[in-house]
Amino acid sequence: MMIPTQKMVPAMEGLFTWPSEAPALVGSRCRSCGTYAFPAYFTCINPACKEKRVEQTTLSRIGKLWSYTIHCYAPPPPFKFTQPFSPFGIGVVELPEGLKVLGMLATVDLNELKVGCEMELIIDKLCDDDDGNELLTWKFAPSAGGSS
Amino acid sequence: MREVGILGVGAHRWGKFPNKTYVEIGYDACKLAIEDAGVSWTDIQAMTCGIAYIGGVGGLVAGHQVAYALGETGIPILNVFNACATSTSAMREAYLLVASGCHDIVLALGADKSPDGFLSGNSQDPLDPEYVRFRMVGLSNPAYWALECRRRMEVYGTTEEDLARIKVKASKAGALNPNARFRRQYTLEEVLLSPMVCDPLRLLEICATSDGAAAVILASMDKVRQHTSKPIKVAGVSLASSKFGDPAVRVLTVSAPADASASAPFMSESVIAAQMVYEQAGIGPEDLDIVELPDNSSWHELVYMENIGLCKRGEAERLIRAGATEIGGKVAVCPSGGASSFGEVVPAQGLLQVHENVIQLRGQAGPRQVDGAKVAFSQVYGMQGNNSAVLLVT
Repeated sequence: MMIPTQKMVPAMEGLFTWPSEAPALVGSRCRSCGTYAFPAYFTCINPACKEKRVEQTTLSRIGKLWSYTIHCYAPPPPFKFTQPFSPFGIGVVELPEGLKVLGMLATVDLNELKVGCEMELIIDKLCDDDDGNELLTWKFAPSAGGSS
Repeated sequence: MREVGILGVGAHRWGKFPNKTYVEIGYDACKLAIEDAGVSWTDIQAMTCGIAYIGGVGGLVAGHQVAYALGETGIPILNVFNACATSTSAMREAYLLVASGCHDIVLALGADKSPDGFLSGNSQDPLDPEYVRFRMVGLSNPAYWALECRRRMEVYGTTEEDLARIKVKASKAGALNPNARFRRQYTLEEVLLSPMVCDPLRLLEICATSDGAAAVILASMDKVRQHTSKPIKVAGVSLASSKFGDPAVRVLTVSAPADASASAPFMSESVIAAQMVYEQAGIGPEDLDIVELPDNSSWHELVYMENIGLCKRGEAERLIRAGATEIGGKVAVCPSGGASSFGEVVPAQGLLQVHENVIQLRGQAGPRQVDGAKVAFSQVYGMQGNNSAVLLVT
């Protein structure tokens, strides 16, 4: 019997470049004042910015861990997960653009996580859907090079 | 603007009441407040009410539903929602109606029933940041708090014991409060053994969600003085929103501008709301006898103590360790037992704090009484940077 190959699909469109050798988050940048946002936002949120010329841009793939947590219970819908639930990490990563981005972490090992350590963006499994597809989201993984 | 005071307060006990609607719970709180004020429902000239957001479309007109039960009298009724700052936003409207001379006696109410477990988002629009937050990252409210808490631990050296101490203190006070939902006193060891929810925050360090209600009747100070020998003045009531660029990550979002500050995250809206009432009242944080804060988690109590100026940034842990914020300490923080002992009722918790502070200022708090309390401050925070503070003096 043939087992159909599981298709990998972003859980939501437009949030990251994929498939790609070096996937990146798609955010926005104000060409007037340099304020960044993720996901891409329709305007610039800096109250001092008068012109608000926003353009879409990909964000740096490497940043520094600002904080982290391990979520030990299943969050409420619209979060979906493949049973049984297992704890997952969430981190805040400060990008060189001057933006803090929240995302799942690729590890739940607290020994691998330290505020200030270098993190790299990856695209990884969020859960399976009812059609047998593997749904993807963005995550941060400790960089192979270790902490900086 | 004329001076405004408290004519009466009432609160329904907080807990889980599967056999009562939020309208019945709100009705009971109103009846208690009306009785406490020594007036009748037909004397109330206007009503402001928190939207009971769990109560469906009917909950959008929660004030009208409770007024329907009390007997419709044709008065203006305003329903408002401002997340956890909802009911004190309603109180601020009531305050302005009396202060402006528009009405003499106005009732403010908050009432709701909460679902069990994590509060969730309702949005099904994938373009909505709230949807993205849950769907793609699994960010519950406690996850945001845990991220801010971990950062604080890193910057200021907050320990797990500090977080647990706050629950121990709250449970000591809550055990003395007949209106509280959780009245068991916990030891440090018990708190530290409770399950981890979002590391570093444990189950006993995060508030539950409850059913409950609280009501406050405001009147001109002249009228309040006629009614009671111990009048309580609303010396300040404020509402503030956050400022772009502060070091907090707004709950609802998955990104925030980086900030250059060396401090751990804090909320600008809380600082602004506290400053507003201090300026209105001509009173500073050093004058406070009682402080009710939004202790949604142990981390909140630490950061809000600093936001409102009880101590400098990074010093809250020292006050907790020294017992300075217990009943009988330098300034009692959450002597009601706080959200830790009551659980949160999003559109009611601000007025519960006001209710508790009025009971204290009247000297009616029994075993949890803060002796000689004359100045009482309360503050609630709502998601997406929204905050309300109330300052009462006797």
